[in-house]
Amino acid sequence: MGFDPEFALSTVPTILGAIGTTLLVAISSGLGASALGFCFEMVRRGGGTAGLITRFLIDFIRSTPVLAWLYFLYFVLPFYGIRLGAMSVGVIGLSLYFSGYLAEVFKAGIDAIPKGQQEAAKALSLGRLDTIVFVIAPQMLRNIAAPMGNYFVSILKATPYLAVLAVPEMLGRAFDVASETYRYAEPLTVAGILFLALALVISRAVKRLELRLFKDSSH
Amino acid sequence: MQDLPKTAVQIRTLNKWYGAFHVLKNIDLHVQRGSRVVVCGPSGSGKSTLIRCINGLEAYQDGAILLGGTMLGSQAKATALARRQTGMVFQGFNLFPHLTVLSNCTLALRRVLGKSRKEAEDLALHHLRKVKIPEQAHKYPAQLSGGQQQRVAIARAMCLSPRVMLFDEPTSALDPEMIKEVLDVMIGLAQDGMTMLCVTHEMGFAREVADQVVFMDEGRIIEQASPKAFFGGAVHPRARMFLETILH
Ligand SMILES: Nc1ncnc2c1ncn2[C@@H]1O[C@H](COP(=O)(O)OP(=O)(O)OP(=O)(O)O)[C@@H](O)[C@H]1O
Ligand SMILES: [Mg+2]
Repeated sequence: MGFDPEFALSTVPTILGAIGTTLLVAISSGLGASALGFCFEMVRRGGGTAGLITRFLIDFIRSTPVLAWLYFLYFVLPFYGIRLGAMSVGVIGLSLYFSGYLAEVFKAGIDAIPKGQQEAAKALSLGRLDTIVFVIAPQMLRNIAAPMGNYFVSILKATPYLAVLAVPEMLGRAFDVASETYRYAEPLTVAGILFLALALVISRAVKRLELRLFKDSSH
Repeated sequence: MQDLPKTAVQIRTLNKWYGAFHVLKNIDLHVQRGSRVVVCGPSGSGKSTLIRCINGLEAYQDGAILLGGTMLGSQAKATALARRQTGMVFQGFNLFPHLTVLSNCTLALRRVLGKSRKEAEDLALHHLRKVKIPEQAHKYPAQLSGGQQQRVAIARAMCLSPRVMLFDEPTSALDPEMIKEVLDVMIGLAQDGMTMLCVTHEMGFAREVADQVVFMDEGRIIEQASPKAFFGGAVHPRARMFLETILH
C-alpha cells in the first residue's frame, strides 16, 4: 500500500477542521504557562518560605510527566468534587507543566539584566510592582523572546497529548481518519505538515517580535 | 515654604558588616544643607557602601542615618519619604535602555509622584535643558555618548527635586574627553545651592566646589577637612600617600 496523494488531499479538510482546537489549546496553554511561570519566578525570587516552596514546586512540576498531570486533573480531581471539562483539563495541565520550564526562562531573562537597573529603580523610589512592570519585564522580554518561541513550539507539539482526554485536536483527528480508513500514512503526514506549518508561523512571529524589541539598541 | 532642617544628612556612629566583614566603622558625618562634601580614599575603603547606605540601597546594622530629621529604617513609610529626598548618580549611569531619554526622566515623576504626562514631560525637559541635552530627549540611551548618558542620569535624579544629590564616582567610567562636560553640570548644580555628597577622585573638582573633603580608609573616616587644609597638608600619613599617588 503506497502513499496516495489524492487520498491525502481528501483528508486535509477533516484534519484542518481541528486546527482551531489545536490553536485554542496551544495559545491558551502558552498564555497560561507564561502567566503562571512569571508569577512562580516572582515568588521564588522574593525568597522566604513562599520562595522556598515555589522553588520546590517548580522542580516538582518539571520532573513529572505531562501525562501524569492530565490523568491526575481528569480522573483524580472529580473524587474531590472538582469536575472539569476535557478541554479545560488539557489547557490547565499543559499550562502547569510548561510553567515550570518557563519560570526557568524568566529567571535567566531576569538574571541577565544588570543589577544597576534594579538599583536605579530603587534609587528613584519606584515601587516593587512598578519596577517589575516598567523596568524588569520589558528588558526581560528581549532576553527571553527566542527561548520563549521554542517553548511555544513545544507547547504546540504537546497538544496531541490531549488525545487521552478525547479532545478533538489535529493529530487525534488524523488518527480517527486513519482508523476509519485503515490508511495511516496519508492522514498522519498531513497532520505532520500542518504542525510544521504552525511551528514555522510561530518562529517567524518571534523573529519579528525580536526585531521590534531591539529597535532601540545598537545590537 | 516649610522650614528645612539645617543638617541635610546626619550620620552617627554608623557601623555596617557584610557577614563577618566590618565594612563601615564608627562613621560620623554631618552634611549641612547647601554644602558640598567630597569623599575619597583607596579602593575598597567603603566609599560606595557609605553613599549607598545614605539612600537606603544598603541596610546598616548599628548607629543612625538621619535625612532631614528622619532616621532611615525607623519606620517604613517615613523612611520611604526620606529616601525620596535623595537623588543618586551611579558610576555606570544605569539608565533604562528600553526607554527614551525623556521616558527615563518621566517614569518616576509619573509613577511615584503621580504627575500627569504633560506636567512630567515639562519638568523633565526643564532638567534636560539644565544638563544641556534637551535635543536628545527622544533618543535611546544606547544612541548617546557616555558623557551624555551621565548627564541624563543627573537630570533623571534631579526630576524628583531631591534635597541631597549623591554621586558615586560619576566620571570614572567616562573617556577623559567627556569628564569635563559632566563635571561642569555638577558645578552648575553646586552653584544652584544643591547639597551634594560626591565620591570622586577628581581633585580639581574637589578643590573648586567642595567645602569639605572626607578621606576614608579601611571603613573609617580618618581625615575630614576643608579642601584647602586637605590639599595643603593632610595630617594622616595614609591620606598624604593617597594624595601623592593620585596627584602624580
Ligand atoms: N555586597 C557585598 N558583600 C560583601 N562584601 C562587599 C559587598 N559590597 C562591597 N563589599 C566589600 O566592602 C568593601 C568596601 O566596598 P566599597 O564598594 O564600599 O568600596 P569603595 O571604597 O567604593 O571602593 P572602590 O573605590 O573600588 O569603588 C570592599 O572590600 C568590598 O569588597
Ligand atoms: Mg566604589
